[in-house]
Amino acid sequence: MAEPILEVRDLVKHYPLTQGILFRKQIGAVRAVDGVDFALGRGETLGIVGESGCGKSTVAKMLVNLERPTGGSIRYKGEDITRLSGRALKAVRRNIQMVFQDPYTSLNPRMTVGDIIGEPYDIHPEVAPKGDRRRKVQELLDVVGLNPEYVNRYPHQFSGGQRQRIGIARGLALRPEVIVADEPVSALDVSVQAQVVNLMDRLQSEFGLAYVFIAHDLSIVRHISDRVAVMYLGRIVETGTDTEIYEHPTHPYTQALLSAVPVPDPEAREHRERIILTGDVPSPTNIPSGCRFRTRCWKARGTDAETGRWRSTATGRWTDAETGRWRSTATGRGDMAAPRPVYGTRTAVR
Amino acid sequence: MLLEVRDLHVEFRTRDGIARAVNGVSYGVDAGETLAVLGESGSGKSVTAQAVMGILDIPPGRITGGEVIFQGRDLLKLKEEERRRVRGAEMAMIFQDALSSLNPVISVGDQLAEMFTVHRGMSRKDARAKAVELMDRVRIPAARERVRQYPHQFSGGMRQRIMIAMALALEPALIIADEPTTALDVTVQAQVMELLAELQRELRMGLILITHDLGVVADVADRIAVMYAGRIVESAPVHDIYKAPAHPYTRGLLDSIPRLDQKGQELYAIKGLPPSLTHIPPGCAFHPRCPLARDVCRTDEPPLYEVSATRGSACHFWRECLNG
Repeated sequence: MAEPILEVRDLVKHYPLTQGILFRKQIGAVRAVDGVDFALGRGETLGIVGESGCGKSTVAKMLVNLERPTGGSIRYKGEDITRLSGRALKAVRRNIQMVFQDPYTSLNPRMTVGDIIGEPYDIHPEVAPKGDRRRKVQELLDVVGLNPEYVNRYPHQFSGGQRQRIGIARGLALRPEVIVADEPVSALDVSVQAQVVNLMDRLQSEFGLAYVFIAHDLSIVRHISDRVAVMYLGRIVETGTDTEIYEHPTHPYTQALLSAVPVPDPEAREHRERIILTGDVPSPTNIPSGCRFRTRCWKARGTDAETGRWRSTATGRWTDAETGRWRSTATGRGDMAAPRPVYGTRTAVR
Repeated sequence: MLLEVRDLHVEFRTRDGIARAVNGVSYGVDAGETLAVLGESGSGKSVTAQAVMGILDIPPGRITGGEVIFQGRDLLKLKEEERRRVRGAEMAMIFQDALSSLNPVISVGDQLAEMFTVHRGMSRKDARAKAVELMDRVRIPAARERVRQYPHQFSGGMRQRIMIAMALALEPALIIADEPTTALDVTVQAQVMELLAELQRELRMGLILITHDLGVVADVADRIAVMYAGRIVESAPVHDIYKAPAHPYTRGLLDSIPRLDQKGQELYAIKGLPPSLTHIPPGCAFHPRCPLARDVCRTDEPPLYEVSATRGSACHFWRECLNG
């Protein structure tokens, strides 16, 4: 990986649950994000996949400082942004921008497109002097493939795909180095999704952007990502390059998640191995002891042992599964015809 | 044929003029068969289903033509009371958003039991027992305890199971499922689709699955009808369509799915946007976005050409499209 621009270590976000009006006491916590580590290289795309409630959006919010972490660090070029405030924070925020999921609610209906895209310049006037703004906004519209003459129109005059382009233009306005995109295409029609994915791809090479691309659509994540992290109940359970994750998943959850994705090929219907997980994701207020996936895992044994976390020193890939569990898969004793996990030289990191 | 929709037309009055949501749709489903109706938002796939079910909002909606033949009767000619007897008992619908389709202030048990007290005239006690049985059948754990709970106490997947239970309650001959798993996560989607397919096999129901997900369709459908701007543009057995689409719109949808060998390349994208239903382009509605479009496409609306005995395509140049 290129030199990391963003480094996340042991990131935690707990929302306290309280009881009582006069004497509030904490009776528990929603452990939305519960120890997440990853690094993002310059110009790289990291895909984060996981089901609803796994904490992927909370991670996104912490990256752009919309939420303050309960613990851990987020280093941007070596500087921990969770401890910054005032002017220093403002400077960092300029470089990490966000594109939101829903282009219908993330644009103010009473502002013109020009005002929406130009608003970041009110906060960071050093990027575009006042007289220059209109031209800059029109340039941005052009960059994202919208007619520059539309600056005076309102969001409702655009379709979903066009609105998402406006959201992307706003994200680009301050020339950031990192864009955090939280489900940027999932609200769009199928035929329009490809247009927006292509646009994001093109902008990445044009401006050297690094993306954190969060989505639940695994095929789109694979297409756009260099590396993928799979989240479950507030933790990354497996990470690797896109090929590693999709071709050789080593964590049972990743295997189940991939096998559940419907394949657009009716010929595959008869001879595909499908792992149907039973039950629902446990509540993040009450995370299972030991491996947090054990309540739905078909390989779980009756132990409550804390999971080992293993790192392949060769690829920087690690998985959260207890070693014994996937070793049985590797030796063919597993109860599923799973792709064989690839082993590197592993050293335990925790 | 269990259900046959013939040349259905539906319009809506809107501030911007008349929106022609459904423009001559015909399709059929047999008992035990799964028909997938594939389309983007605004393609008319849900409106067609609502017209079949008889739950279209009239006004602003208006059925301006066509027939819906179900078990030999034209449903559109029935009186409202007669339709009510058909609805729920002989055909039932599953909606996308289970939370807003269930009544939040009535326990799920009572909502399920209502099917039996209203349609079958059962006593409340018997109906409650039936409700527990149904919840067991859709594999809701601890049904006996959970029957007293309210919709908000269930997870999304469990709520969708309750919707399925409700639809199956009276063992209808036809189920219409409108995006039943769109709001669910993939692992839960797999559970729900498997359950639905299993129950369908068991009861030999006809199933109309309305969706925009090409993956789900490939998994469960026998036949596909692809809709665009209120018309069926292609209709074919599932294997044929994925092997070689006979309409440029279908081809575009299939090509825009990210594939392994395209990693790092630009995805194929259908250019432009779906048309507004108040201003559907003349000729073939897809022509402004179509790579094969020629002059004739701008003026002449293509009929559903017969590609084979089981297959139709509404493209003047379907042969060209079929050959890639």
